[in-house]
Amino acid sequence: MSGEGRWSGRVLVIGSIVASLVLVGAYLAAGGSSYEPEKVQDPCQPRPWSNPQTLGQIANQFTISALDGAACQLGVSREVLARALATPEGRERFKQRYGIDDEKLAKAVRAGLVRAVDDAEEAGALPALIAGPLRQAVQSIPLEQAIEIVNDAEGFLGNAESFLGPAQSIIEQFLP
Amino acid sequence: METSARPRVAALALAVGVVLADSSIVVLALPEIYRELDTSITGVTWVLISFNLVIALAAVPAALIARRVGPGRTAAVGLAIFAGAGLACGLADDLSTLIVARCVQALGGAAAVTAALELLPATVGSERRAATVWAAAGATGAALGPAVGGILTELVSWQSIFFIQVPVALAAAVPILSVARHEAATGVLEAEVRRTGRPHLWANLALAMVSAAIAAALFLLVLLLIEGWRLSPIEAALVVTVMPLAAILGSRMAERVGDSRSRAAAGAILVSGGLAGLAFLPKATIALTIPPQILVGIGLALVLSALTETALHGRSPQAIHGGWTISSRHAGVVIGLLALTPIFTADIDQQRHDAIDAGTAVILDSPINPLLKLDLAQKVSDQLETEKGKVPTIEPAFEPKPSDPGERAEVEQLQGELQDQLDRGATHAFSTSFILAALLGLIALFPIGLSRRVDL
Repeated sequence: MSGEGRWSGRVLVIGSIVASLVLVGAYLAAGGSSYEPEKVQDPCQPRPWSNPQTLGQIANQFTISALDGAACQLGVSREVLARALATPEGRERFKQRYGIDDEKLAKAVRAGLVRAVDDAEEAGALPALIAGPLRQAVQSIPLEQAIEIVNDAEGFLGNAESFLGPAQSIIEQFLP
Repeated sequence: METSARPRVAALALAVGVVLADSSIVVLALPEIYRELDTSITGVTWVLISFNLVIALAAVPAALIARRVGPGRTAAVGLAIFAGAGLACGLADDLSTLIVARCVQALGGAAAVTAALELLPATVGSERRAATVWAAAGATGAALGPAVGGILTELVSWQSIFFIQVPVALAAAVPILSVARHEAATGVLEAEVRRTGRPHLWANLALAMVSAAIAAALFLLVLLLIEGWRLSPIEAALVVTVMPLAAILGSRMAERVGDSRSRAAAGAILVSGGLAGLAFLPKATIALTIPPQILVGIGLALVLSALTETALHGRSPQAIHGGWTISSRHAGVVIGLLALTPIFTADIDQQRHDAIDAGTAVILDSPINPLLKLDLAQKVSDQLETEKGKVPTIEPAFEPKPSDPGERAEVEQLQGELQDQLDRGATHAFSTSFILAALLGLIALFPIGLSRRVDL
């Protein structure tokens, strides 16, 4: 082998190393090592409420808190539970996949609703006078109704008469 | 070369090209086969693995048979088997039949390819020239395979990939028949076994490792483009054409450097660098796959030619040592696919769940009406069930769009954010496999380093 050939070979090898390092370095610098789905939050960790102004905003955060609370009880993510509760078929698949019966699910959803009321009270979105009876009410409701509240918190908060009876007028005074 | 020999050289080159194209031609059709035959990713990879496995096992015995019964006969019969089995592949309506037909096709292909190397020296005038024509035909076939397969899959069907091979293989067999008619069986098998000597261990070992890395690069990239980023087979074919184009550039570079060990080392480093680049893609954008593909393409041209040369250098008969290189390369492909398939299959599943969860989180945390967001969550859930085990198409979950312009804009933004999470998941799912493939390429540097000092 000629000296020129060996030199060319060495240049080729060094050039290959440099080209590879430049490419990988550039991709890593551009975020290549962290380009992956964002991690979802642990539902057992508190999720602070922003400052809700309207009934819609309160309902929005109420739903999130309820899902967090129920998911924490069941040991699943809030996202998995939200998809599961969206339809009866989804709920059945979820129960089968995680080995959960109706009783356990109902207990978890009720616990989620209690957490939502607690969070709403803590955020100043619900006065203690209303939060107390609401908390009592959701602790004994059937599963179907509990899921309906999670899915339609705005309807629940806006029309709580069926749960609170005379307290409805009080709610109307306090809620935006 | 005599003018009369040209059709035969063309036929032999065509035979080698069409057979070696077959080890990669189905890559772009795999997602289509996967959907149509309703199988799993692991199952569909066997359409590729079975062909390469049988070629790896049959190449050396086929070379010995070619020496014994005559290379013309072996090549002609091999091509006939290849064509017949190709027809069976196209007619297969279940995965098992397809895989069995692929195995038979590989047997015929192994006979044709190794016999072609035995026929070429007499046709082109020298063993060196024969090895060059043989290697170039194989490289061209393997490089063009994915693009041809992608175009045929989209424009016609995945079955057409196999149907089109039938007339091509038969056309290649016709000029070879005249050789077959005039040759006598040599009966040199036992003498050949004694005279052949051992294959070049280190060069063939390095070939296997590098081939595993290259097969992984091609297979994983195609799956990422079609299954992860949802490109059509033609679009994916156009994207992966960068690799063979870069390989042409690599061949030119290879001609300028005489030292085969340096070429092999540089090639292995570039293949590994390109694979590492694919492992760390910073965004799900086609343009970002081009620089890594260029490195892999140049690298494969450098390393495969250098190692094949080293493996054949000073060894005779070439058909048998050529059989060893074919065997090593295809064994490498099999090892690469077998080792990496379970890893990326599990990763795809995990990333799909992570991406859907991240996308659902985006929907839940959005300021849109709670009823609308739960409706979207429900549709995403339904879509997941419809496309079980795959990265879902999310557009249907966002249709029909709300009529209110404000809500519509919010929903469109959500769709974009969910798509971003899916793209992240699909891309990240391949990272570990690309890194492992890159490591295989780097490990090949050890046998490459030993390939001249310890010449077994």
